Amino acid sequence: MITFATISFLGLPLLAILLLNIVRKETGGTISINIGFVVSIIQMIAAVVCLSLLWLHGKDFIEFSLFWDMNATLGSARFSVDLFSLVVLFCIGMVSLASLLTAKKTIGAKALNYTNLLMVIMLGMNGIAVVTDLFSLYVFLEITGIASFVMIALLHDKRGLEGAFKYLVMSAIASALILGSLALIFTQTGSLVYGDVANALADWRNAQYAPLLVVAFVAFIAGFSIKAGIAPFHGWLPDAYQSAPASVSVLLGGIVTKMAGVYAIIRVLNSVFVSMPMINQTLLILGLISIVFGAVAACGQRDFKRILAYSSISQIGYIIIGIASGSLLGFVGAMLHFFNHATFKTTLFVNSAAVEAQTGTTDIDQLGGLQARMPVTAVSSILAFLSMAGIPPLAGFWSKLLIIIAVWQSASVAGGAIALAASIFTAAYFLILQRKVFFGPLEDHLTEITEAKGTISLAAVLLSIVTVAFGVLFPVILNFLHLQGIL
Amino acid sequence: MQQFFIVLCLVLMVLAGGAAVMFRSMLKSSISLAVASALLAAVLFLMGAYWASIFELSVCSGLITVVFVSAVSLTNTDRCSEVRVREHKARVAVLPAILIFAGAALLFILFNSDFNIVASATPASFSAFKEALWSLRQADILGQIIVILAGTFAVIVLFKERDNI
Amino acid sequence: MNIVSAIILTAALLMIIAGMFCLVRTYNLIRIIIAIELAMKAITLLLVFSGWVNGNLALAQTFVITMIVLEVIVAVVAAGIIVSLYRKNGNVDIRELTNLKG
Repeated sequence: MITFATISFLGLPLLAILLLNIVRKETGGTISINIGFVVSIIQMIAAVVCLSLLWLHGKDFIEFSLFWDMNATLGSARFSVDLFSLVVLFCIGMVSLASLLTAKKTIGAKALNYTNLLMVIMLGMNGIAVVTDLFSLYVFLEITGIASFVMIALLHDKRGLEGAFKYLVMSAIASALILGSLALIFTQTGSLVYGDVANALADWRNAQYAPLLVVAFVAFIAGFSIKAGIAPFHGWLPDAYQSAPASVSVLLGGIVTKMAGVYAIIRVLNSVFVSMPMINQTLLILGLISIVFGAVAACGQRDFKRILAYSSISQIGYIIIGIASGSLLGFVGAMLHFFNHATFKTTLFVNSAAVEAQTGTTDIDQLGGLQARMPVTAVSSILAFLSMAGIPPLAGFWSKLLIIIAVWQSASVAGGAIALAASIFTAAYFLILQRKVFFGPLEDHLTEITEAKGTISLAAVLLSIVTVAFGVLFPVILNFLHLQGIL
Repeated sequence: MQQFFIVLCLVLMVLAGGAAVMFRSMLKSSISLAVASALLAAVLFLMGAYWASIFELSVCSGLITVVFVSAVSLTNTDRCSEVRVREHKARVAVLPAILIFAGAALLFILFNSDFNIVASATPASFSAFKEALWSLRQADILGQIIVILAGTFAVIVLFKERDNI
Repeated sequence: MNIVSAIILTAALLMIIAGMFCLVRTYNLIRIIIAIELAMKAITLLLVFSGWVNGNLALAQTFVITMIVLEVIVAVVAAGIIVSLYRKNGNVDIRELTNLKG
């Protein structure tokens, strides 16, 4: 059971690619989307199964391998899943499902290519979640990156190609920085397995190659900040989100940049650069800049998807300051906000896809009064935005609260205050967007608009249920944290 | 003597890299990049990394050059490399200046500390290399398989289907 | 400090500077990819250098080989995007890429 569940994270998408390319191309469209549904649902089930097994056996992590005997060797051969990676693997399954539901209505003739690339990107993200070696982490980061460039350019239109090229250049620079820093770290440690590097760097100030290590840390933070789209390095992110096809925006905004940047930062801080206050301080400052900049910049945008992209920059800042606070509470808050952000940001991108599919534009100046015409989309986007702005009792409120308490307690009071104040800007751009798109009088040319039928609405409804249910049930988690002595 | 050749090849490599930046013609630029790559392969060989050297020579110096030359010829842009210097002199200078300054500072610190780097490696034997690749890096090999799949789909999307929109 | 190590580090640094200089200096999309390739040459050198220093050259070589495979795929994808952009825009000038503005 457990072997099957763990192997399915990497084995199943590979199998799916094989299946997808056996079916005949003419009939491949709908079948391929359905195969995608199966893969993402099985991934969610497998994550839940592994979580409950962890719980039952009282273990911290499960180790596994794919086609080889993991006990024969050390090194990168060993994959491992713990609580955080399983939460993340569940998110990957959930967002892929939402993306597929959106794609079923919007992708048209590109279904086969889309599903193939989705499987590759899932392999890349699952790989990031399970590897135990810095170099393998880089390899899977690059796979995720390559698949996302191609997905952004999937429709072969001018804007998609442009966004893809910008993303490619920034991502290549980030890869060069990360890999250079890995080379310098490898000079000191002689191995890149998480545990070995953590041991070798425990006393890095007295290490033989300490000057090289300082350069390595700077390059490392810069590289991952570009990948995560943290504020001074965010240039490519709005372009990539805006130019991608609707279903790909769902995927990128919901999970891809968070996996490639934020998850990797959290994983590395937790298992490699343990107890390095210098790095935590830097990330705290970058995170705060991100929160404020993203929220302010979002207020000035005129495109639905672009507003969501800037709000992603802002919300990623919250996750980063949570982890940078260095406390266990901050880590739990970051993990929960990761999950919440995946839910509500995916909802919002699904809503933008619905608006784009029905009206043909995402420019908010041309929209207005859609609430009466598209009730499901309007209500789910309001719920998601309330959750994002941190209105109780929705899920986003609790995770943001935990993060701000953690920053307040262990890092700096000023940091917590800034993060709290920036929530007001979240409410500001939320109001701008809602007023321009859903409220107010109906624009004349929009009177024929109807609700997006079928799978897009289904995705929005399902994700809204998750947001509300998670928020209402959150006191259970708080109680558990209290029992564990974290809160 | 071996060290002399390493230094010689490095100097030539940097010169070839500089040429790749300075040439006006894209074709000459690509070829300079290939030369830099070949010289890097020589350096790797002299440092004892034989298999990495072979890959560098055949894939980077060969295949990537082919990709670049085909891209240049497909876009007919051999000589259209306008240079930004004339318009934004100040902006163009900033980033390299910062890098040069940082690099000089780093090298200064390195030279003035009791920091010592000596090669402790002997050339890796094939069995050691094989052992490292196949029994330590399975995850990377899986990654290579996936990335080649990704490359295949990329070629299908970007080159094969160009009819619509 | 050992003179050969110093020269290797300096050469890697110079290659990265050359790449970055090329990146900010050009309007040509293909040359941007050439700039990134130049920086990647420096990274290759650094990886082998690290193995050369700590005596683990076999492991460093496996890193380099994986890295080269990834590098080639990125170059191919980049070339594909550039050629497609050329078919849409008629040139490969970065100043044409202004469809996305906030």
